[in-house]
Amino acid sequence: MEVNVGDVVLPGDVIQAPNTNDKGKLILGPGLCRHMDEVLITTSGVLRKKGRNVYWVDSHRKRYVPVKGDTVVGVVVNRSGDTFKVDIGSSEQASLSYLAFEGATKKNRPDVQIGDIVFAKLLEASRDLEPELVCVDSYGKKGKLGVLPEGGFIFTCSLNLIRKILNPKCQMLKILGSEIPYDIAVGMNGKLWLKTKSIKETIAIVNAILTAEHLQHHEIASLCDDVINALKGM
Amino acid sequence: GQRLCLADKEHISGCGTYERNGYIYSTLAGVVNVVKEERSSIIEVHSSKGQGIIPAPGDIVTAKVTIVTQKFCKCVIKCIGDTVLTRPYRAIVRKEDVCATEKDKVEIIKSFRPGDIILGRVLPLTEVHTYHLSTAENELGVVIAYSESGVAMVPVSWTEMQCPKTYVKEPRKVAKVVPETVTVD
Repeated sequence: MEVNVGDVVLPGDVIQAPNTNDKGKLILGPGLCRHMDEVLITTSGVLRKKGRNVYWVDSHRKRYVPVKGDTVVGVVVNRSGDTFKVDIGSSEQASLSYLAFEGATKKNRPDVQIGDIVFAKLLEASRDLEPELVCVDSYGKKGKLGVLPEGGFIFTCSLNLIRKILNPKCQMLKILGSEIPYDIAVGMNGKLWLKTKSIKETIAIVNAILTAEHLQHHEIASLCDDVINALKGM
Repeated sequence: GQRLCLADKEHISGCGTYERNGYIYSTLAGVVNVVKEERSSIIEVHSSKGQGIIPAPGDIVTAKVTIVTQKFCKCVIKCIGDTVLTRPYRAIVRKEDVCATEKDKVEIIKSFRPGDIILGRVLPLTEVHTYHLSTAENELGVVIAYSESGVAMVPVSWTEMQCPKTYVKEPRKVAKVVPETVTVD
């Protein structure tokens, strides 16, 4: 079945690609695959287009598949030799080397224990190899990565909700932050780490984020106002 | 362990036997087979069940890659030279043995993937139960590989193979397979 941009698509559908862009490149994002001369859909969702030649399928996912370059929130579960094993919610545990921290050398080991939460970036992720994490960027600087402080709360949500709240168009994090002070680390693997001053505020923000799954951008602003008013009233 | 005969110019140890202290001893339980040549005879022992052949250092073997990690890849030896084995042997290709040049910059994930069929040379034995293979020659490396969509890929250079259906190129350490017979027009 031939489909157009903005349609709900199922695996097996063929895209009607514009023929006038014969000289330019077509960039196929997640959910699309080239088969001989056609472009086939491989996941169910909504077909989207950005710019002139970037296409992808927006799909609803909960299970995380590691992708190179994603920043994720993980839990350290094991130490073996000079690497840590970190659980990021994917099919295999990821490895994080001792030396992948700011200012770490063979003699100066980083202070990471089993059970710590880390915010790290995926260095290598492939179908056939175990994922590799680093807590330092290519300049050797820590940035926002590294071990997260104690006293936070971790919860999971679906992957498209993560993409929605990280979208610059979504004002949720800003509106909540203007009234309630909080620290948040959003992992592309569906895990969020949140730290506020009291349990009430934590629960309020968690509920606000989870409820925003099915709301449009304009409805999210009124949801945030409701949550803030409810907290002030308590 | 049974002593068979003296090891001298007329008696040479073949497969299934070894030479020690000037005598030829057997390694297998089986039947002795004497192969007569012009001036010498080769003493071999053939086992009644199974093949007698095992990978020896220097042999070229055909193996299938099972697991790939950062530092090495594990594979299973399927054939030794032209003989197809009835039982598989386990082997490892270390990162340093993949390519003859630039041994430090080699990335195993860009040379082999699970499911690839490779040609390798057996290195001198160090460990029990696992053989070490080397693909550090032009004629050794990946012969058959499948792309992410499951289609057999075609080599396009010494470092890349391309899928004929999705046109995606994947990096591999490709073997230079020389055809045995060349037809002259």
